[in-house]
Amino acid sequence: MTLQLDRPVPGERTPPGTGLTTRLSWRSRLHRFEGRSAPYVYIAPFFLVFVAFGLFPLVYTAWISLHRYKLGSSMTWIGLGNYTWLFTNGAFYNALWKTITIGVLSTVPQLLLALGLAHLLNYRLRGRTFLRVAMLMPYATSVAAATLVFALIFGRDAGVVNGLLGLVGVHPVDWRNGDWTAQIAISVIVIWRWTGYNALIYLAGMQSISSDLYEAAALDGANRWQQFRHVTLPGLRPTILFTIVVSTIGASQLFGEPLLFGGGQANGGPVGQYQTLGLFMYQQGWQFGQLGRAATVAWVTFLLIIGLVLLNTRLSKIRNRGES
Amino acid sequence: MTASVAVFPRSRSSRPQDRAGVPTYVVLGLVAVAFVAPFYYMLVAASRPMAEMNTFPPPLLPGPDLWKNVETAVQSQNIGLALGNSLVVSGIITASTALFCTLAGYAFAKMAFRGRDTLFAITLGTMMIPPSLSVVPLYTIMADLGLAGSLSSVVLPSLVAAFGVFFMRQYLSQSLPDELLEAARMDGATSLRTFWSIVLPIARPGMAVLGMLTFMTGWNDFFWPVITLNSTNPTVQVALNNLGSGYVPDTAVIMAGTLVGTLPVLVVFVLLGRQIVGGIIAGAVKG
Amino acid sequence: MPIPRKTSAAVAVAATLALALTACGSGASTPAASSGPVELKVSLFGTFGYDEVGLFKKYEAENPGVTITYESTQGEDKYWPALQTRLASGSGVADVQGIEVSRISDVTANQADKWTDLRDTPAKDSIGGYVSWKEPAATTKDGAVLGLGTDIGPTGICYRSDLLAKAGLPTDPAALSAQMPDWNAFLALGEKYKANAPAGSAWHDSAGGLYNAIISTQKEIYYDGSGKLVYGTNPAVKSAFDTAAGAAQKGLTAKLEQFVDPGWDQGFSSGSFATIACPSWMIGYIKGKAGTGGADKWNVTTLPGGVGGNWGGAYLAIPAVSQHKAEAAKLIAWLTAPEQQAAVFEKVGNFPSTTGAIAKVTGATDPYFNTAPIGKIFTASADASPVQILGPEDGVVKSALVQALLAVETSGTSPADAWTAAGTKISNQVG
Repeated sequence: MTLQLDRPVPGERTPPGTGLTTRLSWRSRLHRFEGRSAPYVYIAPFFLVFVAFGLFPLVYTAWISLHRYKLGSSMTWIGLGNYTWLFTNGAFYNALWKTITIGVLSTVPQLLLALGLAHLLNYRLRGRTFLRVAMLMPYATSVAAATLVFALIFGRDAGVVNGLLGLVGVHPVDWRNGDWTAQIAISVIVIWRWTGYNALIYLAGMQSISSDLYEAAALDGANRWQQFRHVTLPGLRPTILFTIVVSTIGASQLFGEPLLFGGGQANGGPVGQYQTLGLFMYQQGWQFGQLGRAATVAWVTFLLIIGLVLLNTRLSKIRNRGES
Repeated sequence: MTASVAVFPRSRSSRPQDRAGVPTYVVLGLVAVAFVAPFYYMLVAASRPMAEMNTFPPPLLPGPDLWKNVETAVQSQNIGLALGNSLVVSGIITASTALFCTLAGYAFAKMAFRGRDTLFAITLGTMMIPPSLSVVPLYTIMADLGLAGSLSSVVLPSLVAAFGVFFMRQYLSQSLPDELLEAARMDGATSLRTFWSIVLPIARPGMAVLGMLTFMTGWNDFFWPVITLNSTNPTVQVALNNLGSGYVPDTAVIMAGTLVGTLPVLVVFVLLGRQIVGGIIAGAVKG
Repeated sequence: MPIPRKTSAAVAVAATLALALTACGSGASTPAASSGPVELKVSLFGTFGYDEVGLFKKYEAENPGVTITYESTQGEDKYWPALQTRLASGSGVADVQGIEVSRISDVTANQADKWTDLRDTPAKDSIGGYVSWKEPAATTKDGAVLGLGTDIGPTGICYRSDLLAKAGLPTDPAALSAQMPDWNAFLALGEKYKANAPAGSAWHDSAGGLYNAIISTQKEIYYDGSGKLVYGTNPAVKSAFDTAAGAAQKGLTAKLEQFVDPGWDQGFSSGSFATIACPSWMIGYIKGKAGTGGADKWNVTTLPGGVGGNWGGAYLAIPAVSQHKAEAAKLIAWLTAPEQQAAVFEKVGNFPSTTGAIAKVTGATDPYFNTAPIGKIFTASADASPVQILGPEDGVVKSALVQALLAVETSGTSPADAWTAAGTKISNQVG
């Protein structure tokens, strides 16, 4: 990260020689006030909306998690009962594990692929616009539509994937009901939808890297691969960090794809083989109507993600320090 | 960033030496096909009876029923109104997200103020709230405000996004040289003026990307609109959700409706592609 | 990014602001209009058939001053949570809402205060006239009636005549029925079918569907008469589970999850399975999925041994916050009256729940199903159907057992392990 500005000290911006005796001009006083308050004004709209529609629900969720609360009935205080229930429930640990495995299966290939694609798209290309639109078409398609199509493509009896596998003599795979097969199918949907999106973000980052750096590298005799490694990658660091954080959060909340892949059912397959934490929460809240338990799952997920992100930033800080 | 960054970091031809070779085209072509193929499959499935899709290899060309299925879809749900509503909702969300998130992102990236790190940590934290959970308290708020069922109830919570703040902060911390800001300060420019004439032009490519992503997120948002809106005043996704209502949802009609719901986004893309995707990102910043 | 002390203060301030923000602006409700033109909002799921038959238009024509706004959500699984969210906030609900039979017990047990007692409305005269168990299920223990029945789900067996003929089995409904005096005989026919069937075609669609059909003939299922959860000790449940699991292990099922696996939908036309448990509403589903190519191929007969069973059905109810209770009550009384129920059955296949309407449809035949006497078959099933005891967690238990059977079918889990796993799942959820 590139936060290298000085800590703000009160009066720092007061020009030298301006003591109490010196009368500040009206103009410069206004100027100073504007400079000091500006950052707060800039972030105010975000925080106003956030407080009303983000923080309140969050706090309220914590409150709900301490209650037995069935959708349609009133709340009963049960203290940490929901948390005890959660931590002694095998389904929770299953969902945690599946979230991790599907997260890795979908995020790692997706980001690597996106980086490679962005690199290629950064060349001067004919049909550039077409290619970039094509990259984003999956993202423009709703999860519902995408998953519907993929459920057909991964069908057991008449799916295209099994049809192609059949051409090379592989027996039909029951993608939907297997353990790893279902996870792979879901990861493919996620990768399909999000690779172009991340590629575009990387591309935007690459475009903002100065050409001087490349020219300097080229003068030093660096080939394309070396330029990619020594100029592009370091220059993209904030962007890469950004996509890793966002993808991690996205993976930990993954929910639409497994839900719709399961035909709208929240159990994530007969033995929960693709039930993610997001799906587990959804099942508790919207299939079983157990809002208290759903809130508990949400809060535990929330804390897990915060832990992950902190770990992430801590690690990258250590790496930064090690390199500089 | 480092001092080697030029004051005007980019020119239109950023890397003239890098023309794509044949292998690049081949790889990109294959990827493009893989990305577009499921979409094409949707088109084929929307134009044929389901039974014909149940074979391998599946039919490769669209069938004769496309128009009929589109008509069925449009007639059974208020798709025209839904398209208009989605356009309004996504448009407002996009404009406000791009503006407000750039403001906040700039403050977090380049300005020093008390509580900055704390506030930024909170911003990041808001991304981690699973969206489907907030629905019950959110609906209660909207009902209390008398907004449940109105488009405002969909727009309000999405006016800004933590994602956007984070995105613009990362973008600006990378592409906005401190020297420019320093120079502006030396010239005695007010903060607002600095933002307007220096930050905004440099932020524009990032804003374009953010705007596009926001537009599509708004367009495809599903869970909350389905709860708060009803089919008499739907967005596209709400209308699609009610499509094929019945014991026998006709997959072909659902596919046809989905096509109708997705096409406008793609058209916007292709039309504005030259401006947004092609031009601005390509570094044509007239700074 | 360490979060310093100040954060908590900031959060507290913010929360206060949020509370203050939400406190204002309430009370946006409009006063009740007691006379004059009325707009009735009707919100349903799936196909109740009213719109399809044109009943709303007809009612508007017969009752000047009443306009009906109708909306329908595709899946009940999406409809219900949205309805519950709106009920909880007390706004946004329609004047008439549909309730699926599996939810009715939860409604009568836990949500009596959120719905209108129909005994206090003009609909009170319509509470009688139903098949014996329909209205008691919608009645609270204090006697409040919260819904009027629409349809019921008397159950038979649908089968592919053409596929059975290829395997040398009888294709006439009566002849087939004669060969299956009980579920074991039904599965024995399945073994015969398997030996002679076309490649890639199984006897039954799914173990879960088979289980649902067997259990639909029982009176006491997951709860006993006193409202205690007894699925674990009820021999009928275990026996139905074991029968279905045995069929799965013998390879008699197509291993396709109902309503979820696209392959299941495809199976109606492709012939992946020859038989399927068939509540009356499945008739319409089969027509839609098998399409014109399926006409004359499908047929329908009684459950093995001619027993009666019920699977599904629904109610119409009026939320307590409705401003037009009397008008809404008149509307639902009319919609559920025998004449309208019979019209709905003829058009979309939802089997009527009033005895008057059942009498009207007993003679119905369906040309799509080889002119099978569907009226007679389903009436017999409805007549013989036991008074099922419903409970608030029926859905949780049923879904766990059906999923366990799917695991037996697709993952080779042993029936005993699957049963134990389902038990753990259920006690974690319900306990």
